[in-house]
Amino acid sequence: MSSLVKDVRQVARGWRWSHRPLPPKSAEPHHLFPAPREFPTDWARSRPARAAREAILRGGLGPIVRRETTLRVEGHDVFDALDGPVIFVANHSSHIDTALLLTTLPTEWQRRVAVGAAADYFFDAWWRAVGSALVFSTFPIERSGVGLSDTPTRLLAEGWSLIMYPEGTRSPDGWARRFRLGAAYLAAHAKVPVVPVALVGSYAAMPRGRGWPKPGRPEVHVRYGRPVRQGDDEDTRAFGARISTAVATLLDEDRSDWYSATRRAAVGATPSPSGPAVADWRRVWASTASPVSRRSRPRAWR
Amino acid sequence: MSRPGFVLDVDERTPPLLMHSGESFRLQEFPLGSRIIYPPESLPGVPDVDEEIENALLHPIDSEPLPDLLRPGMRLTIAFDDLSLPLPPMRKPDIRQRIIEHVLEHAARAGVDDVQLIAANALHRRMTADELKAIVGERVFRSFYPDNLVNFDAEDRANLTHLGKTDKDEDVEISKRAAESDLLVYVNVNLVAMDGGWKSTAIGLASYNSLRHHHNSHTMTHSRSFMDPKMSQLHSSAWRMGRVLNEHVKVFQIETSLNNDAFPSQYGFLTKREWEWSLRDQATFLGAKRGIDLMPAKARRKLFQSMQAPYAVTGISAGAVEPVHDQTLQRVHRQQLVEVDGQSDVLVLGLPYLCPYNVNSVMNPILAACLGLGYFFNMYVGHPIVRKGGAVILNHPVPWEFSTLHHPSYVDFFEEVLSVSTDPKVIEQKFEQQYATDPWYVHLYRTSYAYHGVHPFYMWYWCAHALDHVGDVIWVGGDRRAVARMGMRSASTFADALEMASDTVGRSPSITYLHSPPHALAHVK
Repeated sequence: MSSLVKDVRQVARGWRWSHRPLPPKSAEPHHLFPAPREFPTDWARSRPARAAREAILRGGLGPIVRRETTLRVEGHDVFDALDGPVIFVANHSSHIDTALLLTTLPTEWQRRVAVGAAADYFFDAWWRAVGSALVFSTFPIERSGVGLSDTPTRLLAEGWSLIMYPEGTRSPDGWARRFRLGAAYLAAHAKVPVVPVALVGSYAAMPRGRGWPKPGRPEVHVRYGRPVRQGDDEDTRAFGARISTAVATLLDEDRSDWYSATRRAAVGATPSPSGPAVADWRRVWASTASPVSRRSRPRAWR
Repeated sequence: MSRPGFVLDVDERTPPLLMHSGESFRLQEFPLGSRIIYPPESLPGVPDVDEEIENALLHPIDSEPLPDLLRPGMRLTIAFDDLSLPLPPMRKPDIRQRIIEHVLEHAARAGVDDVQLIAANALHRRMTADELKAIVGERVFRSFYPDNLVNFDAEDRANLTHLGKTDKDEDVEISKRAAESDLLVYVNVNLVAMDGGWKSTAIGLASYNSLRHHHNSHTMTHSRSFMDPKMSQLHSSAWRMGRVLNEHVKVFQIETSLNNDAFPSQYGFLTKREWEWSLRDQATFLGAKRGIDLMPAKARRKLFQSMQAPYAVTGISAGAVEPVHDQTLQRVHRQQLVEVDGQSDVLVLGLPYLCPYNVNSVMNPILAACLGLGYFFNMYVGHPIVRKGGAVILNHPVPWEFSTLHHPSYVDFFEEVLSVSTDPKVIEQKFEQQYATDPWYVHLYRTSYAYHGVHPFYMWYWCAHALDHVGDVIWVGGDRRAVARMGMRSASTFADALEMASDTVGRSPSITYLHSPPHALAHVK
C-alpha cells in the first residue's frame, strides 16, 4: 500500500493536480495546447454568492483595508450621473488594488461588478479560482489571447459592470505600463462608458511579493474620473489612447490638483504615467514612497 | 498530423518520465537540464493496405511486375521474417499474411504448383505451428503446413547450398530450396533501420558457415551503428553476400514499414508524452503499475507476452532488393529519426520486457544486455548518443532466469564462458567453435525450440561496440550477481547509479534519456 501511496503522490506532484498543468518549456513548440476551458464563475454571481461576498466585503475586507491603510477616495460624484453598466479601468501595481476598488465602490455598484483576472494566475489552481471568484467576483481572462471568452460581453449585456486592468499584469516597479486595447474594444463593442480610476500608493503599500500591507497604515488614494465614451467617428485605438490619458490625468491630478492637471491635459502635457526614464532602482525607489496627502485643509482666505 | 520527434530539456515543469524496466515500468525524475529524446508521433498508416500491396506487386522498383515473373512449372519460394519481428507482435492480420496471400493469389492465377514457404529464422529457434499460423494466417497455414511451410534449418547440410565466396572471401551458404528456386520472394517487416535489405535473405536464410563472417566481435565493434547500414560492417558484409546470391537467384523483395503504434490503446500512456497525460492516463498508469506489481510473476509475463501492437503500415515497396530498401529506410527515418545536438556523458535507457529473442519466452541477462547495449545503444546515426568513455545507465531487473527450452546454450554460456571472460574477442577465440558445433545444441536447435548453440555469443557480440565505447555500464534495479557476472555494476536507484557513474563522468554530467519504445533513432551531430 505504501508504494501505491508513493506513486499517487509522485503523480499528484508531477502533474500538478492542484494547479493548471503546464508543458515543459522546451516542449511548448511541439505541444498541442488544448482549447482552454474557462473556469465556470457564473455561480459566483448568484444571489447566495453575492450575499456572501457582500458580507465578506463589509465585514472583513473593507474594515481590513481601512485598518491597514490610510485610504483616501476621491471622485465619487461621478456615480451620480452614471447608470451602469460601465467598465472601470485602473492602473495596476498591487494585489490590494482590487480590494481598494471593490471596497470603495458605492454599495449598489459593488453588488453588480465583476473583475477580470488573469486565467493563468488566479485560475491556475482550483482553490485559488474558487476563492477569488467568491470574494472578488472574478472571471478568467486569457492573457495569451488564446480562446477569447465571451463572458465579459455577456456580463455587460446582463448589466454587470466590469473592473479591468489594461496593463495585463501588476507593474513591476510601481509605474504604469502600456495600456492594452482590450477594455477599449470591449467598451466600444458593448457601447458602455469607461470610468478611469487612478490608484496611487498601492505599490508602496503592498508591492509584489507581499501578501499583506506594510505596517504603519501607508497612504493609498483611489481617484475616480469622469466616464469616457467612444466618439462617433473614433476608432478603438484612439479611444484606448483616450482612456489611457484619462487615467494618466487622474494620476497627475493626485500629484498636483485638478485644474493644473486639466490644463496640462488640454495641451497634451500630462506627465507620462510610465515614469521617468531613469535607472530601475530609482523608479522603484520613487514608487515605494507613499503619496503625500494634504492633511491640512487649504486655506480659503489668505 | 503527426508531430516530429524532439529533444526535451528537463525543467521544473517536467513531470516524472515513464521508464520501462522489464516486466514493469515506473516514473523517473531526472535532474534539471537532462535531455530526453522523444520519438516522432505515429505516422498515419496507408489508407488501403490491400491496394498498397497490389500496387507494390504490380509496379515494383527495378523489376518486372510479379505476375510477369510467375509461370507454370516454376519453383517459387516465399521466405518471410520470423517472430523476432515486429515487437511487440502485430495485431492480426499480420502484414506478412496479407502480402503472402496476395503473392499466392498471383501464383495460383499463373498456375504455379511448386510453392514453398520458409520462415527465415537463420539460427533463431524454430517457430511452433501456432506461431507460424499467427504470422501467415489460417488460409496459408492450412494450405501449406507442414510440408511446404517450414522453418529454415541452418544445420540441415543436405538442404544448404554453397553459392561461392564474396570478394572478401566470405562464404555464401544459404537454403538450397531458396537458392535453387526460379523466384525467391522475400516478405519483410521493417521495424528499425537495421532490418531488411540483403540482411533478410543473406542472413535470414544463411548457415553458421556464412553468418560467422559478419556475426563476430570485429565486425560488430565496427558497425557504427547497426542502424546505419552504410556505416555498418555487418550490413556491408551482408550486402556483399547478397550480390553473390543475386547472381544465382532472382530475388523479389517486398518490404514493409510500420508506424510507432507499439502498444494497445488501453496502454495509451506508454506512447504519450508525459505532460500530455490526461487524468485518465495518470489513473491508468497507477492502476496498471499497481496491478502489475501485485501480480504473480507467471501471470505478469503472460500479460506482457500477450500484448499485441496495433501497428499500421506506413508503406510497402517491392522489387529489386537495394532500391526497395532505400525507400524503406526513408520511411523508417521519417517515423523514427530525431535530430540530437551533440553527445552526452551519460546515456539512460529503460529496457522493456521484450527483445527479438524472447518472444513467448524469458528475457535472460544476456538478452537484456543485448537489448540495452546492442539494440538501444545503437539507435543512432552519426555519433553514439553517449561520448567515448561515458556511462550507460540501464533500467532492468536482469533476473537470473533462463528458458531451458529456448535458450539452453545461454545457460552454459552464462555459467562457463562469462565467468572466464566478458571480452567478446577472448570468448570468440576460446569458446565460439565449441558452442557452434556442439552436437547437443545442434540437436536441440533442429528438433526442439532452442536457439542455436552459438546464439548467445552473437548476443554478446552485439554489445561489443558499446562495451568498447563506454567507460561504465550500470544497471538500476538489476540482480547484483547476474550483473556482476557480466562484468558490470548494479545500483538500487537512479540517483545511486549517477553517484556511481561520477567516477567516470564527474559529478555534473550531461544526461540523455532515450525515451523508447516506441523507437527513436537519434541523428547525433
